[in-house]
Amino acid sequence: MSARGRISDLWLGVFAILVLIFLCLPVLIVAPMSFSDAKSLEFPPPGFSLRWYENLLGNPIWVEAGKNSLLLATLSSTAALIAGTLASYVLVRGTFFGRRALEANFMAPMIVPSIITAVALYIFFAQTGLLGTFFGLVLGHTILAVPYVVLIMQAAIRGFDVRIEQVAATLGASQWQILTKIVLPNLAPSAAAAWIFSFVMSFDEVVVTLFVSGTYMTIPKRMFNELMLQVNPTVTAVATLLIAFNLLALGVLLLLTGRKKLFGAGMA
Amino acid sequence: MSDASMTIDGAAPTAAPNSQRFRLRLRWDLLVLLAPLMVLTLIVFDIPLLTTAYWSVSDADTGALTPKYFQEFYDSNAYMRIIWRTLAIALEVTIATIVVGYPLAYWTTKLRPRLRMIVLGLVVITFWVSILVRTYAWIVILGNAGLVNRGLMWLGVTAKPVEFLYNELGIVIGMTNVLLPFLVLPLYAAMIRVDQRLLQVAETLGAGRMRIFWQVFFPLTIPTLAASAILVFILSLGFYITPAVLGGGRVPLIANMMDLLINRFARWEIAAVVSVVLMAITLSLYAVYQWLRERYQ
Repeated sequence: MSARGRISDLWLGVFAILVLIFLCLPVLIVAPMSFSDAKSLEFPPPGFSLRWYENLLGNPIWVEAGKNSLLLATLSSTAALIAGTLASYVLVRGTFFGRRALEANFMAPMIVPSIITAVALYIFFAQTGLLGTFFGLVLGHTILAVPYVVLIMQAAIRGFDVRIEQVAATLGASQWQILTKIVLPNLAPSAAAAWIFSFVMSFDEVVVTLFVSGTYMTIPKRMFNELMLQVNPTVTAVATLLIAFNLLALGVLLLLTGRKKLFGAGMA
Repeated sequence: MSDASMTIDGAAPTAAPNSQRFRLRLRWDLLVLLAPLMVLTLIVFDIPLLTTAYWSVSDADTGALTPKYFQEFYDSNAYMRIIWRTLAIALEVTIATIVVGYPLAYWTTKLRPRLRMIVLGLVVITFWVSILVRTYAWIVILGNAGLVNRGLMWLGVTAKPVEFLYNELGIVIGMTNVLLPFLVLPLYAAMIRVDQRLLQVAETLGAGRMRIFWQVFFPLTIPTLAASAILVFILSLGFYITPAVLGGGRVPLIANMMDLLINRFARWEIAAVVSVVLMAITLSLYAVYQWLRERYQ
């Protein structure tokens, strides 16, 4: 390699590392700030304290928002997982007219900008009396999680050897038995991954929530409202907890699916 | 999976009459499995979107079809200005992600496998942290007393703080940060797939490093680069959180305008028109994206 080649490699390396720092900076900066004892947002923090965490846990509005977020994410990801898994099975194993169109319809909430979904749900829910109800909020979050479930579960079912199902059918198992006794138990790790993925999506969702939630408070909604009003360091504590929570979920996903599959799912 | 009716693969080798009955039962079974998601998608997605489309073309009082809301939208300078600004910012963000993302992806392919996994891991981690958190951090970093401004003043680059926040620059920085993984990850995957022998052949034939890169390597990555760039552009068009937080309400984009139309001015019909316009732009770009992916991958 020529000297000029080595110098251009060096520049490439320096530039790429700067980009990597740019990419990670927000994540790296929030956690130390949350342990700051300063009243304003200062970096680096002048001293250590847990006051923002105490502030957070002592505030009934945040606690209420946390409970709502957990319940909402649990209900919507469970609903999305059940409906999405059953449909994925038919999409992969069945062949029928309109299969691709149906699949595109299920994937659409991922492609359509969520602001459009939010406006559409607002107008529709307002007319049907679902606006501002918790049920409507769950429905909205469920539809946003569906594409990710369908994506993950279709890949999982494709990877499951169809001959095992054929053998079961030859031995006289009904379709229902094949599904409940053979297919679903084998898909459990992917189903868990899809559930966690949906849970995190719901837990981080802001846009649709802002439009249809009415008076219900969720963690991201509360955080967004705080950000629009004033810069309050309590938010850094929430943000740090969210980062920790998401990384934990990512770790569990890695354990469940292995690295390779995860990168595949993350690309979608 | 070539059977025309809705059957399970491999159910065929049964005797003919049996198989007929088997298939019929299967068809109902399968429909039952599909039903929950079909109903959900229909009620919570398809019908709301169609309702919105209907609102954009029907008179609020009489219900008669009318182009007047589209006309109002088109004639209004305020709406059109926001549309153009959104397109311009989306373009700036797309160019920025290409300029910083391409070298990062390229550099990653040249690393040792272990380091590669670490870099990719970092990219995936940022991808996983909520947009709200990542946007919020930029207030701390780019604010007047923030990290960047204090650094710049300490270095003597500037005497008074540079205004990064509450203008287009802040929005572009924040959105580029959020959208970078959408470009870097697919681009890395495409670069890894480039046949190394092609580069070796070029080298044997006496091509210099620059020439190998620009005439052999780069052209091979263009389809994925184009597809990912379109994806980033599409995603930029619908951004709500980042412009709201980093723009401080001073630089509304399409999504923020839709929020105002619904929640502040109660102009649902105009919000519906904007939805239809944004949807049309998104879907046509998405068609190009899919075409690129299917053609070259």
